[in-house]
Amino acid sequence: MTHAPVLKVENLQTRFKSVQRGKYVHAVDDVSLELYPGEIVGLVGESGCGKSTLGRTIVGLEKASGGRVLLDGVDLSGLSGAALRNSRRALQYVFQDPYSSLNERQTVGEALDEALLIGGLRSQHERNRRTKELLDQVGLTHAIKDRHTRELSGGQRQRVAIARSLAVNPRVLICDEPVSALDLSIRAQVMNLFLRLQRELGVACLFIAHDLSLVRQAASRVYVMYLGKIVEHGPSQELYDRPSHPYSQMLLASVPVVDPRVEKLRSAPLMVGEVPSPTSPPSGCRFRTRCPLAFDECARSTPPSYGLSPDHNAACVFAADLYGGKRSALVRQGAG
Amino acid sequence: MKRLNPILARVNKMPRAALITIGLFIALGTFAPWLAPQDPSAQNLLEAGGGPSAAHWLGTDHLGRDTFSRLIIAANTSLVSVGSVLGIAMTIGIAMGTIAGYHRGWVDDLLMRVVDVGLSIPSLIIALAVIGIVGPGYWTMVLALALAWWPMSGRISRAVAVSIMSNPHIEALRVLGASPWRIYFNHLLPGTIGAVMVYATADAGVAALAVATLSFLGLGIQPPTPEWGQMLVDALPYLESDPRQVLLPGLALTAAVIGFNTLGESIALNRIPKPLTRRMLAARRIEVAGWARENVDA
Repeated sequence: MTHAPVLKVENLQTRFKSVQRGKYVHAVDDVSLELYPGEIVGLVGESGCGKSTLGRTIVGLEKASGGRVLLDGVDLSGLSGAALRNSRRALQYVFQDPYSSLNERQTVGEALDEALLIGGLRSQHERNRRTKELLDQVGLTHAIKDRHTRELSGGQRQRVAIARSLAVNPRVLICDEPVSALDLSIRAQVMNLFLRLQRELGVACLFIAHDLSLVRQAASRVYVMYLGKIVEHGPSQELYDRPSHPYSQMLLASVPVVDPRVEKLRSAPLMVGEVPSPTSPPSGCRFRTRCPLAFDECARSTPPSYGLSPDHNAACVFAADLYGGKRSALVRQGAG
Repeated sequence: MKRLNPILARVNKMPRAALITIGLFIALGTFAPWLAPQDPSAQNLLEAGGGPSAAHWLGTDHLGRDTFSRLIIAANTSLVSVGSVLGIAMTIGIAMGTIAGYHRGWVDDLLMRVVDVGLSIPSLIIALAVIGIVGPGYWTMVLALALAWWPMSGRISRAVAVSIMSNPHIEALRVLGASPWRIYFNHLLPGTIGAVMVYATADAGVAALAVATLSFLGLGIQPPTPEWGQMLVDALPYLESDPRQVLLPGLALTAAVIGFNTLGESIALNRIPKPLTRRMLAARRIEVAGWARENVDA
């Protein structure tokens, strides 16, 4: 990590007006993260923890209520209008649902052509050439460009959607569960496509997922999010081997194992309770209401982020113990 | 022909009787001046009130005018006025609806409160008020009805526009950095017009009825231009001696209104998702064949 991050998110906050008068839902609360050129970074967490909102705020689909997004060192919050549109173009988003992210009235060719035109390619000849190139890159046949997007299968649509984001030569791709709407069999192919594109084009990728195995396979680093905050981040291998936040431990332990014998031996208490309301999050550590290790201190102050090894941080007072294996959130409670 | 096939298949699913009625109405209305066998205004008092004959297929009215020709020309009057009313009303309605749906926020609130005011007053009352101020006449009636009609299409297009704007494909365009103009004119407007047109078909029947109502009251189309509602009121004094002159325009009007309503309903209902076509199955097969290739790459 000698070079500068291509995307730097600093203390980003997104809040929505709550149904209750005068209250706010803090969907993203003080999140910072970095993305270096050409790496795939995972962002995992339960449903409703704010991972999608974080992604949407970074690309500007939601309005940030605080913090900054820096793209190649340029602060996007200082720009507006056409200048903002032009700078932010290097930041692209792949939607979860390939069925609604394409205009059904357009053919594949028209959709890609329009994206290229938006990207500033004026010559029709040049656009036709790029359209073919993009279709090649995502593994679709050239003949598909005359078909309407509504006639395509989910996998094909997602490839078209990926091709469309690549049309504007992005530096960063934010993928919001891009494969979770697809069949299992097609999932692997689209994943392989992502890996290949990232290798060939050097696009940095923030991969939002709740499927932990996918992230483990693809990402070099992982951020774990809980109730609008990043609770732990670290190199993917290390985080999976030595999760150092009780929430990460429980999240990893809740992944089912295929072998029934191993599955039976899993000691985890698994996830108990529900995610508290983000309108009124618990005081102190936000995970304390579900944490088997929580004690009085956790309610009093928000735990800072403890550095465990270079580039591995966890926001828990027990982080060092958990990292060293002296403690575990996975021991059955009741014995004390 | 290949491009026409899917359209023909959809047309085939619509109620045939309504389709034929409306087809006939539009064809007669469009080509009326060439189709009418006789001059609709030519009076011949010697033949007044006559029954069907070789010369006058559907008989003559109390002034001896050919009823068949008058019915055909009336279809033209009705078609043109209904078309203009809906055209003007939908232009205003779609413009306001899409602007409200695009901007949301206070622009949306303001425009929709205007629409609410428009909707809260019965359309015929608005039309009567406008005609009362300006005086009866063909174009006064068209404008008065358009003025009464646009809030409805404004409300519908706003709803359609909001649903299109919240669609991820618009968000995808935003992320690509598309200009607001491109989003509005290339994506929002065509989508909204397409959806609102569906409602317009059902509305056409109500508009035709309104035109006839105003003409019946003597506030719309003025004699001697033939119009169904006005033909009705003309023949009313002779209801007992010659009921045919009341029945024929009444039936024509009823057929047109029912036809438009049935057709509009079926078009709206046909917009449910269609089952897998052969083409989609073929696409699926190509995809499956592609898996092998992809796995070799990886």
